[in-house]
Amino acid sequence: MKQNFLEIITMNGQASIQDLGRLNAQHLGFSASGAADEFAFLSGNKIITKEISIKPQHHIAKINNKLGNDAAIEITLGQISFKANAACNIAITGADCQAKINNMTINNWQCHQLHAGDIIDFAMPKTQLHSYLTILGGFTCQTAQQPWLGSLAQTVNEMALGFTGEALRVGSKLYFSTQNQPVAEATPAQTTQLASLKANRPTTAPALFYPQQKLTLRVMPSRLFLQMSSAQQQQFLATEYIISPDSNRMGYRLHVKPTKTSSPDKKILTQQLRSQYLLSMPVTYGMVQFPDNEQPIILMKERQTMGGYPVLGTVMQTDLFRLSQMRPGGEVAFSLITHPQAQQQLQAFYQKLY
Amino acid sequence: MSNNRESINAKVSNSTQGCVNFTLDLVAENALLLSWQAKISLTQHNEIIALQAMITQQLGELIIETVASYHCLMVYYCPQLSSSLQVIDKINRVAKNASHKHSNGYHQDNNPNNKLTHQADHGHHIKIPVYYDREQQWDLADVAKRCNMSIDEVIKQHSAHTYHGYALGFTPGFCYLASLPKSLQLPRKSSPRIKVPKGAVAIAEQQSAIYPIESPGGWHIIGQTPLAMYESHNGQFNASIQVGQNVQFYAISKAEFLALQQGVAE
Repeated sequence: MKQNFLEIITMNGQASIQDLGRLNAQHLGFSASGAADEFAFLSGNKIITKEISIKPQHHIAKINNKLGNDAAIEITLGQISFKANAACNIAITGADCQAKINNMTINNWQCHQLHAGDIIDFAMPKTQLHSYLTILGGFTCQTAQQPWLGSLAQTVNEMALGFTGEALRVGSKLYFSTQNQPVAEATPAQTTQLASLKANRPTTAPALFYPQQKLTLRVMPSRLFLQMSSAQQQQFLATEYIISPDSNRMGYRLHVKPTKTSSPDKKILTQQLRSQYLLSMPVTYGMVQFPDNEQPIILMKERQTMGGYPVLGTVMQTDLFRLSQMRPGGEVAFSLITHPQAQQQLQAFYQKLY
Repeated sequence: MSNNRESINAKVSNSTQGCVNFTLDLVAENALLLSWQAKISLTQHNEIIALQAMITQQLGELIIETVASYHCLMVYYCPQLSSSLQVIDKINRVAKNASHKHSNGYHQDNNPNNKLTHQADHGHHIKIPVYYDREQQWDLADVAKRCNMSIDEVIKQHSAHTYHGYALGFTPGFCYLASLPKSLQLPRKSSPRIKVPKGAVAIAEQQSAIYPIESPGGWHIIGQTPLAMYESHNGQFNASIQVGQNVQFYAISKAEFLALQQGVAE
């Protein structure tokens, strides 16, 4: 059987295989992992599924179905190029890397056709971090690779276990199945733009989804937060934070934005309250950890399963997708949201993107 | 702050229900956190993992995942299949039922499908051979010094104790074991090591653990085991030490360590 693949021919940033991750292996100590920005990841899957309608569309339970969860290549800060050994249709979404096919610039958030021998090249994006290269049926980094504990997602800290193939590097081959052969000769008119899809459900244009500058993270307060005095709560919500350079797929570290009026001596969390929340406990996506130095850490997709810092609350997931595209130096602040509101936002998000 | 009052209303408290010992919070769009008293207690932990097994069994497909630790149980559920309030109601019913049966001396062992019977299996001790490294490549001498005792005494105390597996986390197969004797309790290292070797036996605060793979780590390394901390076949992953199991360490010589390590490799 002929093997179809894209081969990495140059690479200067980071790239990994990602899908929606493995939530169900956390009891064994595995990170949930998965695509940092589900908006861009699911948009890529949606564009490619609409373009090549091989699979029938079903309205089945959304979260567990495989539809729209095909493993994509998550490219961080661009600077990577691939050579196709067979024709295929791909979608590119997320951070705009001014991608080129054989030196011809192509549009982001669209489906494109590659012929055997074509080279697709991603430059460093001017803004944002993660781009997704999506193909129907998904990519694997080994032939006939099976999902590990329900997912193909790669996690940096777990690569040594060897369950999800090797870390991507120059020479890595990203395999795809034969069903991706283009059904007809592609013409420019066939490229499908997300914003123009005439779907039954409304879609969101990328420009409307991502924040232009500062992001206010909506957070569901924890029991600890509700035990804090009103003045302490207000102080936290009034503080402006900057994304620190040591942020990554595991966690976003923040530091307080220096201002003329800030009083650095005034603690937000009292020692008395802090001392009640020091025993390690299971942690989840978006939890805002608050170490002694009061510089918050927001847990992202590649988080560990246990944490020992007090937690002030949990950022709602749709804001985490937005946050994942922000770079060090970006500004964030927090505001409160209730659990039903956050849940409603997430459900509406999935309805648009599945 | 009106926002704040609204969020208080979104919290669900079990304080009025008497027979359950945990509080229940909606901590994410798809997750509930059950919290018991913040302490390391064998009795409490047995209650937590018994409830975990029953929730998994009785709520079926509504539950995506459950993760237990010293005093908490995280329950991931499927909001598309059931509302948060329905899931909370079901968990409370399971918990009340369990505590009712418990107080009536009901023997869960009569039902082979009931996961509570697994508790009996947890009774046996897993024995872990440790080469307590006297050549002092790691932290054994330092730990002895800081605990004000001889190296022999550190080894004796660490291996005389029985530990209980409270949680899996950090890296796959890393089991948090407690409680370490008070005389051996030290805070984590001030700066973590970049590389801790596979099989490292380490201590920090009230805990001991074994690093399943080479990874960074901030605990004090006092020895190394040749045993693998996980095995996998047919797409399954099995941690050698599971939550709820009891563990004991015993000292081996360097020669025994090397022989066993070779045996494991073959």
